[in-house]
Amino acid sequence: MNRRRFLEHIAQTTALPTAISLAGCSSAPRLNVYNWSDYIAPDTVANFERESGLRIRYGTYESNQEMLAQLLGGNSGWDVVFPSADYIGPLRDLGLLAPIRHELLTNLDSLDAEFRTPPWDPALQWSVPYMYGATGILYQKQLVPAPQSWADLWNPAWSGKVTMLDDAAEVFGACLKKLGYSLNSGDPSELRAAAEEAGKQKPLLRAYLNAEVRDQAVAGDVAAAQAWAVTAAQAIAAAPERLAFVYPREGFVRFADNMAILRESRRVEAAHRWIDYLLRPPVAATIVETTRTATCNGAAYALLPESVRKDPVLYPAADVLKRGEWLEPQSKGSQRLRDRLWTQMKSS
Amino acid sequence: MKRALPLYAAFAYLFLHVPLAILAIFSVNASRFTIWDGFSLRWYRAMFADRDLLESAANSLIIAVAATVLATVIGTLAAYALWKKASPWLAGSLYLSLVTPEIVTGISLLAFFQWIFRYLHLRLGMHTVILAHVSFSIAYVVLVVMARLRSFDVALEEAALDLGETEFGAFYRVTLPYLAPAIAAAALLAFTVSIDDYVITSLVAGVDSRTLPMVIYAMARRGVNPVLNAVSTVVVAGLGGLILISERLRKA
Amino acid sequence: MTSTPANRLRAFFLTPVATVMLATLGVPLAIVTAYSFLSRGPYGGVEMPWTEENYTRLFDPLYAGIFLRSAWVALLATAGCLVLAFPLALFIARSGARKNLYLALVILPFWTSFLIRLYAWMFLLRDTGLINTAFISLGLIHAPLPLLYNEGAVLLGLIYGYLPFAVLPLYATLERQDPVLLDAAADLGATPWRALFRVTIPLSMPGILAASILVFVPCIGTYIVSDLLGGSKTVLIGNLVQNQFTSSRDWPFGAAASIVLIVAAIAMLLLMRRSREELL
Repeated sequence: MNRRRFLEHIAQTTALPTAISLAGCSSAPRLNVYNWSDYIAPDTVANFERESGLRIRYGTYESNQEMLAQLLGGNSGWDVVFPSADYIGPLRDLGLLAPIRHELLTNLDSLDAEFRTPPWDPALQWSVPYMYGATGILYQKQLVPAPQSWADLWNPAWSGKVTMLDDAAEVFGACLKKLGYSLNSGDPSELRAAAEEAGKQKPLLRAYLNAEVRDQAVAGDVAAAQAWAVTAAQAIAAAPERLAFVYPREGFVRFADNMAILRESRRVEAAHRWIDYLLRPPVAATIVETTRTATCNGAAYALLPESVRKDPVLYPAADVLKRGEWLEPQSKGSQRLRDRLWTQMKSS
Repeated sequence: MKRALPLYAAFAYLFLHVPLAILAIFSVNASRFTIWDGFSLRWYRAMFADRDLLESAANSLIIAVAATVLATVIGTLAAYALWKKASPWLAGSLYLSLVTPEIVTGISLLAFFQWIFRYLHLRLGMHTVILAHVSFSIAYVVLVVMARLRSFDVALEEAALDLGETEFGAFYRVTLPYLAPAIAAAALLAFTVSIDDYVITSLVAGVDSRTLPMVIYAMARRGVNPVLNAVSTVVVAGLGGLILISERLRKA
Repeated sequence: MTSTPANRLRAFFLTPVATVMLATLGVPLAIVTAYSFLSRGPYGGVEMPWTEENYTRLFDPLYAGIFLRSAWVALLATAGCLVLAFPLALFIARSGARKNLYLALVILPFWTSFLIRLYAWMFLLRDTGLINTAFISLGLIHAPLPLLYNEGAVLLGLIYGYLPFAVLPLYATLERQDPVLLDAAADLGATPWRALFRVTIPLSMPGILAASILVFVPCIGTYIVSDLLGGSKTVLIGNLVQNQFTSSRDWPFGAAASIVLIVAAIAMLLLMRRSREELL
């Protein structure tokens, strides 16, 4: 046995693992889709794969920040993502988005008129609206008195049973509304006041949860929660006799999640096919029925059964909707301040 | 004291094992809540139907095997060389990799990969995860192999050299066989550390290399999910079985 | 260094590990250090100019408070682990032929996924979890106890997760102790308890120190336990660092906090060196 034979031995033992790891690189043609959790019907992906011959890798996230953190490197590997409206501007400014080619989308006109020219992307150059929603309060019906406003979530009687979303824009939004200011305020004194309110609420809270709160509300662990309408609708569907949802009196966040293609994607045509597929009215209608989301797709909305179309949680009356405010991207300085206040509040 | 100790030990073992036993029991509960509703294997069926879950399990295994082999080889050679003559820098860096908190290791690796990928046009994937795992496993391997080397009589190697072996030959034919049990133990340790890692993996995994801990964490965050009970039972049984088998092999 | 066959072999054997360590430890840490002196990009990432603002910000009582709180939680977890592990290690060391079996039984949960064990505790501790459901159905309590989403739950999770890390070094030290010493103590009139405190424990100091460090260091950097069992309310240093790289988008600040963490870990390392327990 000499050193050369030993080297050969080592090479053989390590060749296999190295080969295995490199093998992972050459895979079947795939489209990588990164979406919110529970935002698609169980068979949508399978149906699309069957029809198009493409393979979808479908990943999920729980927050915009989680999604953004992955994308910042510029080579995350994802092709299609679903950012909220207030992230479209920043993503575009960071150069992370690829332009949407309308000629590849045959179903674009099935979008609801409001979402055909949305305020955050009037020409739909970078995004295609997918689902919209709002943030309100999900609560147990047995709670007396029933919560009607954000201020109610500061009730010390419910200490330990209330949750808020784990999102600075949402929590500060609720606090700003409680104080009577605009959700999108960039005013430092208003923001500080809001942060102070959030700080006062923190000891009363059970936890900061996003969509995770759904199962806990259904199980009865949580009495009241700041929740997205989508999450609430899903929870109520699972336990209709126990849960209810309300759009707070002071006002609330309206958001819309959009489909966007990343500039780094090398499968732009395939990405457009996926987006076009999701725009198809029957497909969108199926998704809405299984996941209880509010679709931006007007043609799909028309296909829905009356009970769903009239659902006050997902499609509230116009006068309720008027109290809502769309979340807008912040200026650099305002974003910095908000981030810093969030860290401070969470750390205290 | 004679009676207190075994009694205490019994409670300690209960404390250690009961949570896992409970998960196993409820993994065959028909109901998804904590009320017993009859025996059912539906959660196991759901587990095997989850493509994402199975793929991540396969990824975890591939990564663990690759990282274990590489780390064991590199670590064993390193341990031997360090035993022959210490190197404060290298030993220090190995210590550092052991005591650096995982979040810091993960973030520094992420920063490193993102910086270097600007020039190499690669992206995060199985290879980055394997590299990360090799990196933090080496220290464990060196630890275990070194411990065994300390009880090795260097005179045996010297005897081999006197009899005409090369340096390398002495290592290969005298020391290495002696180290075999330690190398096996080190490999087992590296495998476990790799297959269970979440923090570092979640930061450096790409789109195609989600591992089982990442999927488990995502599911655990969303609340109690009986499929997770099934997963945990399978994992415990699997790894437990592996341990028992390796114990049997060791004694044979 | 002369180029003898021995030295050449040694250099050859050390090259792989040196390369890996440099690439995955040296360079990354250098990058993080560089980041810690830069400024934050608007949505994450780093940009010029250089600044020491990130470090000075850490001296703010708020963040100093987080460091102290994390150290305190880690200390409590370490103490808990030591107290629980010592008698167990003692039992195993004195159990004669069955030693390996008992040791394997301690290690077995450790081999299984840490996340799964945390999840098991979530399952047990929730308001509608097993413990509360059992107590309520037995009539012991009427409303569920808030067992989850507080610092106590985090502590429990840490102790449960790192107990085996404490048992192993303690067992290693205890196993090596000569039983003759205990006989001598008995001859001199000490009760078994007295002998424990006057003989066994002092002799086990190296093991106790090793166990402390093996538990303390991971605990001080933990973030998953406080995420899953603490409900994102308890912010420890690990959470702070992780948040800076995701929701708060302040990489340089996160990098600075990371460097401080490493420095603390190195300080622990130097402490271990003094215990003369040579690991490497």
